[in-house]
Amino acid sequence: MSDLDRAIAQLRACRLIPESQVRELCYKARELLIEEGNVVCVDAPVTICGDIHGQFHDLMELFRVGGDVPDTNYLFMGDFVDRGFYSLESFLLLLCLKVRYPDRITLIRGNHESRQITTVYGFYDECIRKYGSANVWRYCCEVFDYLALGALVLGASSGLEPTGPALETTSSTMSLDDSELETEVLNSRGEVTMSTYRPKQPRTTSPLLPSLSQAQPATSSSANPTSSSMPPMRSGWAGTGATSDSSGSYSTGTGAVLCVHGGLSPLIDSVDKIRLIDRKQEVPHEGAMCDLLWSDPDEIDGWGLSPRGAGFLFGGDIVKHFNYKNDLSLIARAHQLVMEGYKEMFDGGIVTVWSAPNYCYRCGNVASILELGEDASNGGTVSRSNGDYNRSNGGAAAAAAVVRSPGRRYRVFEAAAQDTRGMPAKKPVADYFLTQHPYNTHNTPPPTASHRKPMHFCLGPSLA
Amino acid sequence: MAANGLVRVLPVIDPAAGHCFKEPIKRIHEHQDVSEFLCSKAYVNIMTFLLQLNRSMFPTKLSDGGVQTWPLGSDAVEYSAPVRQLQQLLSRLEAILEEAPPDQGPRRFGNISFRRWYEIVESRVSSLLEECLSPGILKTKSSGPDGPTAEVELKAYFLGSWGSPQRLDYGTGHELSFLAFLGAIWKLNGFPQNTPGVEERAIVLGVIQPYLELVRTIIKTYTLEPAGSHGVWGLDDHSFIPYIFGSAQFAPALSQTDQVPEEGSLPDAPDPNSVAKATAVERERRGNMYFSAIGFIYDVKKGPFWEHSPMLYDISGIRTGWAKINKGMIKMYNAEVLSKFPVVQHFPFGSLFSWDREPNAVPPPSTVHAASGPQSRTREEPPAQHPGPGTKAPWAAGAQANTAGSGTAAPWASGGAARAPILPDTSRLPQGPMAPTRAPWANAQQNSATGGSTAQEEMLTKAPWAK
Repeated sequence: MSDLDRAIAQLRACRLIPESQVRELCYKARELLIEEGNVVCVDAPVTICGDIHGQFHDLMELFRVGGDVPDTNYLFMGDFVDRGFYSLESFLLLLCLKVRYPDRITLIRGNHESRQITTVYGFYDECIRKYGSANVWRYCCEVFDYLALGALVLGASSGLEPTGPALETTSSTMSLDDSELETEVLNSRGEVTMSTYRPKQPRTTSPLLPSLSQAQPATSSSANPTSSSMPPMRSGWAGTGATSDSSGSYSTGTGAVLCVHGGLSPLIDSVDKIRLIDRKQEVPHEGAMCDLLWSDPDEIDGWGLSPRGAGFLFGGDIVKHFNYKNDLSLIARAHQLVMEGYKEMFDGGIVTVWSAPNYCYRCGNVASILELGEDASNGGTVSRSNGDYNRSNGGAAAAAAVVRSPGRRYRVFEAAAQDTRGMPAKKPVADYFLTQHPYNTHNTPPPTASHRKPMHFCLGPSLA
Repeated sequence: MAANGLVRVLPVIDPAAGHCFKEPIKRIHEHQDVSEFLCSKAYVNIMTFLLQLNRSMFPTKLSDGGVQTWPLGSDAVEYSAPVRQLQQLLSRLEAILEEAPPDQGPRRFGNISFRRWYEIVESRVSSLLEECLSPGILKTKSSGPDGPTAEVELKAYFLGSWGSPQRLDYGTGHELSFLAFLGAIWKLNGFPQNTPGVEERAIVLGVIQPYLELVRTIIKTYTLEPAGSHGVWGLDDHSFIPYIFGSAQFAPALSQTDQVPEEGSLPDAPDPNSVAKATAVERERRGNMYFSAIGFIYDVKKGPFWEHSPMLYDISGIRTGWAKINKGMIKMYNAEVLSKFPVVQHFPFGSLFSWDREPNAVPPPSTVHAASGPQSRTREEPPAQHPGPGTKAPWAAGAQANTAGSGTAAPWASGGAARAPILPDTSRLPQGPMAPTRAPWANAQQNSATGGSTAQEEMLTKAPWAK
């Protein structure tokens, strides 16, 4: 077992790795990330995840529901840290997985992957508390600077193969012979709770679309009795959108899916412009890079000021235009709590994916992940790139083309059970309750770093 | 000033000596203004009032050798007429909740009907205050011919006490405003003269606790966000003062002439450890403000206490008693609430809480407290603007000039000035939440510009640099 595998095993058990290993891990991760472009290209099938915020046990639940790395190809859209109790365990595990399986997990930057934000919203405090110094925080921040700003998912299939079994209560739009499954919502047991269909497109709609193959309804459901010891039921491998093992799924090319933590920027009108940013820096307070990580979609026209004080609000017209211009079928983003775990807006042009259930232990929301299946129509090769100005299709062809949205499978899950987490045996003493100086004593020198003792209590409940 | 040499008491203004009321306005615009604030009369008044109320909550040594404690709902505390009137005011506000039921429509997090509730309160503020404050207080005139009455100052602090209708959040800044509202009434001689501690206890148990309960109801009704929450890494999502007064309730008993103890507990006080035990919390929350606040955390949060509230959990490990916890809470309040730009920037200054410099202001005690707190940690931090080779933060230069420039002017602010350029804002209690992350650098104009149209009902992170 390599050191890396050992570190992964340890972190999966929610136990921290020594500072020296963190340093090495961060160094390796940086070497890897520096080679990535600002916009990473990812081939479908892929499972897209939103904010984690240090909710380690819920991240484990996410892997249970979505499949493990490297079986499932994952894309995390940032905000790994802050607010939750286990930002370190969560981020370091994801980083280990990135270093171990670089092609099976993609990490992009969220607005919380920043020095300034982490000193305010908790990650800095957590590092001090768990390691006794700011070293680990510093290593992590250096990694943050190298994280990609976005990802482009290519080769996603427009149709889904139905997953069985459906619940009695499943709501669904009418499934007609001449329709294909467009979205499906599954609970954490793999049961379908909602499906939507759309009319099949005639072959002649667009010269860009490969011909449709004949649809075959899924028949696997009856052969798969639900078992509590089995992983959630699905008709394909985890994360494949349940289409890859099917010989007859709908296979049509779709536009690419842009994944970014926050949203769009008035300074960015094409995906290529994102590629021009010098990203290897702290997140600036303004400008394109800042906007990509901070902006939110809103029911407005055009652009609006963000109540967050950073980034912008952008309306449906902005999304439509951006998607059309860049040949995108969907923008997937995170950044905002949504009670249902995901929220599609603007006729499905953008979706918010949120992966931190019962956020901050009190919000009562569910979380979700979004699976995009692979378009098997042309042997899994990606038919075209996106965001390039000089694409083969000219303006006229593009105008005629209707970019089809990908089939979308949302797996919704709730917060992990909590009764198994032991209480830490030791309590570190908080600063304000330590000092000997009575209130109103002046000119007392502040405690120096040497007064701080490393606190080991949180090396995981298993040590308690 | 001191009743017995031990207790400083918030001075009452003398109308005969002439006094001019002023519409309170914001004075804290930049980070370095916080240093000014910590040398202001307002700051001294706030701390004096807080410590005066705090002392009153310590159990009292009786002449027969017994001890009188001051639990919530204590029969031993008599409520004066002004206290009862303030209770009535709080009941009125609670009744207004019925008029603004939570919106049932789709929403992200905070309920926009809170805006309706606030609008109603705002529209009735004059009559509410008239009804519940004696005219002699509310209509106290300025000595000058055209000066406003005291109402203009009372209104500002009263309306600042209920959370932000724009951001749909509530935090310690709002709590501070209510403290100032009560302090303003005190300064206007609105509470009867009495033996030291008597009226203070009535204020804490009879007004502040009902205020906190009302605020909890409001938070639950409209799912208000915690203003500036650090998630699990803060003391409490919304409140601070119940931890001060509640720890005092369990501290060793005092006589009129005793100093406030720095260690020890009342003999039969519960072990601080019991905050992590749900049954103990249920038992103690009825009589104690500390446990009452923790009980609310249990009400709204799901999960292991040590995990969702690690700071309170750590504090529960203190072996040197509730008096030690009390002392730490006051230091922490000073550093994490009164010394934090994102919190105090909203505090308005008039004549009762004045921006004027306190003549005796020693280089602010807060430098000590702040330094003994999280700020000292930031000294260990690397220069954030040089995170790595070839890396630069475009806004860094501006921020640096901004903070370092005048920071050097105040010698006592050297600690702050030294670290300000490193991280333009390391505030640990920024406004707005647990959720939407707010940009720390955002400014007030931006907020108000969007306030009307853009519902802030999401649980989003706000930038800590936001004003």
